[in-house]
Amino acid sequence: MRRKASLILLALAVFFAALSPMLRWYAFPRLAKIPAGQYQDMVLEAKDATLLDYGTMKAKKVSKVTIVQTLKGNVEASEKIEKTAGRDVVVWDGLSYVVGPDGKMVSRIPERYIFDAHTQEPVHATGEMVDGDPVRREGIEFKWPFLTEKRDYEYFDAQARVTAPIHYRGTQDFRGVEVYYFEQTIPWTNVKLPKTMPVEGITPESVAKTGTTRWYTTVRKFWVEPVTGAPVYGEEIHKEELRGGTLLGDRDKVTAFAGHVKMREDYIDHTVNLVNSQRVLVLLMTSYLPWGFLLLGGLLLALSLYLEARSRRPADPRPAESAEPEPVSA
Amino acid sequence: MRALIAAATGLAVALALVLTLTALGTPAGETSPKPLLTTVPAHP
Repeated sequence: MRRKASLILLALAVFFAALSPMLRWYAFPRLAKIPAGQYQDMVLEAKDATLLDYGTMKAKKVSKVTIVQTLKGNVEASEKIEKTAGRDVVVWDGLSYVVGPDGKMVSRIPERYIFDAHTQEPVHATGEMVDGDPVRREGIEFKWPFLTEKRDYEYFDAQARVTAPIHYRGTQDFRGVEVYYFEQTIPWTNVKLPKTMPVEGITPESVAKTGTTRWYTTVRKFWVEPVTGAPVYGEEIHKEELRGGTLLGDRDKVTAFAGHVKMREDYIDHTVNLVNSQRVLVLLMTSYLPWGFLLLGGLLLALSLYLEARSRRPADPRPAESAEPEPVSA
Repeated sequence: MRALIAAATGLAVALALVLTLTALGTPAGETSPKPLLTTVPAHP
């Protein structure tokens, strides 16, 4: 009976010991992925910002500019791309909608971001765009990979439509969550005017005819929870100028927007709570279960060996009747 | 020999379980009916 029990325990010990590395190194990379149908919105605010009044073509101080950012997973589009890409793909249709203090639209920039559901590497397919223009992202956008490393990443800037390094600047504590702080600086760059302008009758083409160009610079800051790769907080010191051309009269340049953009407080709380719950799920597969299974395997093996040793010990101390040794199991 | 069979059984079951789990994967879900926002939401 003891021998049978020790064999069952041995089988269970091997089961759990084998499950431990397989879960971490085989199952996790295949099972952990961004759901194709995810929907999320985010509100960012720039208080005491500078905004261009297109009526007078002069910059003015405003109490607040709000940026509403929505990301919507397009399941149908991702399934279509998966057929040719041969891997799990996520298609995010996004909209950055900027609202002035009067509630009127300042700009609206749609974009489509296609990426690998497991690694978050960009996937190139028809439809990848920013404001209707085809782009080719070479870096991440919005989200870092699971198990983010302490290193620089390539990050896509949708305004300048360039991929540039975003630098790891250290580990910090953000509201009780250990985060990696990343920072990217985009120097003054000539960028396209948005397709949708805030004033009726003004189009990017009509502005271009005057010779006026749009320039942009930003310092982008992200605090990323490394287990999930999700930013829990973000800020941007963002400046835009219109330069040259007859539109500005005798001026060389005018500020179109300048502000320190920060996540709204209620969205920070919401994001921190969401990331904390997702973090536990990822840790289950990368740490809690693998280590737990390994420990359990070791304990079961020890118990199995103990039972095996007990079963080999003579039950009766009388030496005369136990002369013949039992066959030894392999 | 019986110990070897027991160990092999444990290993085979673990392999089968992990392979089944990864083959099943996770469901893709559906595209949300919610629109891309053009108004400022009051709360998350």
